[in-house]
Amino acid sequence: MSLTDLKSVPEPVVQTAELIGHLDEVFESGFGRLSSANLQTLASLAASFAGTPLAEPLDAAIAGLGRSEFVDRHFAAIAAARAAAHGAMHDALVAQASVALGRPRAELEALADTPGQAAPPRAAVLLESVRQWLMELAIAGFANLEVGALLPFQATLDAIMAEPALVRHAALLSGFLDELLTVFPAHGKPEVPRLRWADLWTRSMVLSLAPPTPAATREVKGELRVFATDLRQHDHVVSLVAFGALHEAGKPARVVRTQVSAFKVDVLQGDDLAGLLNEVGGKLLEAIAGGQGLKISGMLLHATGDLVWQEARAEVLPAKLKLAEEAAAVLTSPTALRPSARPEDRHPAVVEELVWLPGDGYAAVGKEARELSLGGQPFPLAFERWPSSDDLLAADLAGSKGLVALLRFDGGRWSLQPVMIDKGKPVPRMIGTGLQAVRGKAKGGNLATLKERAGKLLRKKS
Amino acid sequence: MLPRARKVQKVPFVELYAGRLQGVVSSGSDEERVYVSYFEAGTGNFYCSTNNNRPCGGLRGSPCKHLIELINEGVLQYGPARVVAYLGLQQAEPDKVKSGAELVRFIKGGPHKVEAGMVFSRFLTYLQYVSVAPTGVPLPDMAWFVR
Repeated sequence: MSLTDLKSVPEPVVQTAELIGHLDEVFESGFGRLSSANLQTLASLAASFAGTPLAEPLDAAIAGLGRSEFVDRHFAAIAAARAAAHGAMHDALVAQASVALGRPRAELEALADTPGQAAPPRAAVLLESVRQWLMELAIAGFANLEVGALLPFQATLDAIMAEPALVRHAALLSGFLDELLTVFPAHGKPEVPRLRWADLWTRSMVLSLAPPTPAATREVKGELRVFATDLRQHDHVVSLVAFGALHEAGKPARVVRTQVSAFKVDVLQGDDLAGLLNEVGGKLLEAIAGGQGLKISGMLLHATGDLVWQEARAEVLPAKLKLAEEAAAVLTSPTALRPSARPEDRHPAVVEELVWLPGDGYAAVGKEARELSLGGQPFPLAFERWPSSDDLLAADLAGSKGLVALLRFDGGRWSLQPVMIDKGKPVPRMIGTGLQAVRGKAKGGNLATLKERAGKLLRKKS
Repeated sequence: MLPRARKVQKVPFVELYAGRLQGVVSSGSDEERVYVSYFEAGTGNFYCSTNNNRPCGGLRGSPCKHLIELINEGVLQYGPARVVAYLGLQQAEPDKVKSGAELVRFIKGGPHKVEAGMVFSRFLTYLQYVSVAPTGVPLPDMAWFVR
C-alpha cells in the first residue's frame, strides 16, 4: 500500500458530496423560496438520515420549512445533517488514507472529564443572536444577500470578540463576515462561493447551538520538538499551527499539534505577524527559529492531541535538534498517537494526515510545484497552499533530503501540502522560522502605531 | 519575507464598506487631529471632515488632499481592480492605474455630508481587533482560512 493508491476516491464519499452539492443550491437560492426541486433535495437528505437520531428533527425541519416556519431549531437540524454528512466523508477519507499509509487511524485519547469554567450566561444570548443572523442568511439565500442586511451583525460580533469564552466563534465569524462583505460590494451580483459559504455557515451554526463547555484535558510534562508548521489567516486572525513530537517520561513519543493565534486587522501582514504572535507564543517562535526543543510542564492536552499553548509553562532548551530524524521516527511509527478531530468538527477540510517522505521516495517536478513524483508516479501538491513567505518555497523541494507533508483532501482529490523540507541544514525549511528574527522590527511599524491609537481612543471612549 | 503591507502612519484606517471607500486620515499639521473621509460608490459623492464634524477647509467642490491620500492608500491596500469595481468607476482601466490619485478624475459626484461618527465608530471597531488578547487555544475552524 502507498500514497499512490489514493488516486481514486471512495464511492460513498463522491455520492455524499453530490447530496451536499444539491443541498447547497438551496442555501444559494434561499430557504425562503423553496422550489419543487429544492423540496426534493431536502426529501432525499431526510431519506439518507432515516433510522438515525437526526431523522426525527430533520423530518420536522423539512416539513416546517415547507410551511415557511422559520425557527432556529429547523436550521439547527439542517446544519447538523450537513455537518454529519461531512463528518462521515471525513471518516471514510481518513480510513482510506490510513490503509494507504499502512497505519491505524488516529483516535481520540480517552480522558476523564475535567472541571472547568462554564461559559457565562451572556454567551448563550450572543449565540442566540448568531443563530438568528445565520437563519436570516439562509432564508434570503447567499445569492440574494444585501450589504445592508449584513452590517448590523458587526455589533454582535464586537460583543463576541469581547467574550473570551467565545474566542473560537470570534475567529470563525469574523472571517465569515469579512468574506461576505468582500464579495458583496455595494452593487452587482458576484459569483457566490457556494460550497465554501455553506461550510462556514454550517460550522458557525453547529458551533453556536449551545455555549461551549469545558473540554476534557490532561496536564502534560515533557519535551516538545516542533518539526512542522502551517500558517492560517484571514483579515482578522492569524494562526500559527505547529506539529511536533511530545516526549513524556515513561511513554512512547507521540505527535501533538499546538496553535497560537492573534486577532489583527487587514493591514497587519508580514513582519507585523511576528509582533502579534510573539505576545502569545514568543518561546514557540524562538524554538522554531533555532531548531530547538521546548521543555513544557503543566500544559493542557486535549483528547484530539491539541496542546493548549501557555508561554509561562514552556522553556526553550539550548540543544539543537535533528528535526528531520525526529519527524521521520515519530511519523513512521505505526503506534505513535497522532492528532485527530472531534466528531462535531470533522469535515474533509480538516483532514491533515502528517506523513514523512524520505528523500529517495520523491522527486520535484517542474518549477511550479503542482505535483511531486512518487516512485515515478505523479501525485498532486496542494500548490494553492504554498505560503507567501521565504521560509518555505516550492524551490526548496529540489534536492531536498526528506519532507513532512499534510495529506489533504480538497477539490475532490488527495494532495500533499509540504510543511517542512529538510535541506540537510541544522534548521529545516518551514514557515515561521523567520518570524523570530523580525520580532524586534515590529517597533515603530503598523502594529505599534495601531496599538498606540487603540490605547488612546478606546480608553477615551469607555 | 512575507509581503509588506502599506504603512498606516498617514492613513491609519481605510476600508471598502457599506458602499463607500472610507477611512481616517491623520492631519498633516496637528498630531491630535484626524480627518474622516469617504467616497461613495455609484453616486461618486465624497466628503471630508474632522472627527467632530467640522468640514475640512480643503474641500471646495473637489476632493481635498485627505481624500486623495485616502484613495491612494485604498488602492495600495485593495489593489486598483477592487477599488474600481467597488466604486463602480466604469471608465477607469484598473490595469493602467498606478496610484489612487489617478482615479479621482473618474469620480463624478460632489461634496455630500455624512456624519463623521459613522465612519469613526468603524475605526474604533477596527482598533478593537488589535486590543483583543491573543490565544493559545485550538481554533480548528482556521483550517478554512488558507492563504
